[in-house]
Amino acid sequence: MKPFRRRGDEVVARFVDAEASIIGLLLDQLEQLLTADPEDAGGDPVLDRLLPSGHEDLEVAADYRELTESALRAGKADDLALVRASLPPEGGEVRLDDDQARAWLRTTNDLRLALGTRLDITADTEPPEDPAGEEGAQLTVYYWLTAVQGSLVDALAAGRGGRR
Amino acid sequence: MAGPLAPARTPETTTGEEFQVDRPWVTVVWDDPVNLMTYVTFVLQELFGYDEPTATELMLQVHNEGKAIVSSGPRERMEHDTNRLHAYGLWATFQRDS
Repeated sequence: MKPFRRRGDEVVARFVDAEASIIGLLLDQLEQLLTADPEDAGGDPVLDRLLPSGHEDLEVAADYRELTESALRAGKADDLALVRASLPPEGGEVRLDDDQARAWLRTTNDLRLALGTRLDITADTEPPEDPAGEEGAQLTVYYWLTAVQGSLVDALAAGRGGRR
Repeated sequence: MAGPLAPARTPETTTGEEFQVDRPWVTVVWDDPVNLMTYVTFVLQELFGYDEPTATELMLQVHNEGKAIVSSGPRERMEHDTNRLHAYGLWATFQRDS
């Protein structure tokens, strides 16, 4: 991976084949989760984190959810489709304008939230010493996504500073 | 303007409910172990137009104290703000200001 950096009005990164495949796979999993029948996916902690409650009172929270959840899901689906469309499946350069970059920002965050929830990430979690094995591999992907998203935030923040 | 022709003011009974209507609502962002500090700062600037020092201060409050009020106003606007924060994956709720 060549992390995101600003180039003029765009932010640019480069992913190798295996990295593009991993992102593609994670996008598929996220999409499955977001489009699953609520009956099947109900109570999934990842879904609870991606579509959180808006209020501590259950009744208020339920009303709020009814008003907002479908649009929230639709926004996530749009972002996801945009990320998929802008990522060369065999790897290569990713060039994003401001709106596309924000879709990447939100989606990579959702992927990190999903993985982080599954892996029970806490403030004290550290990168794996042994990246082999199922959990080690997933943690490695989590920290790699963190690096991708971190570079994207920095590239966008740098652009914002420059515009002032 | 109260003149001699103004109607005599009748005292209004203030119920708890009426009092509550006047209390503003707030949007609260809660700490979570996944969202990057730089990301939270960026989102607060992006959504609320805070300058970087203000957004950083709020982010640090979330990080160190577990939560921070990021906006306040009428309930509808706080619901909207909560929704916009959820779209960015921040853990947010709205509530009446306490």
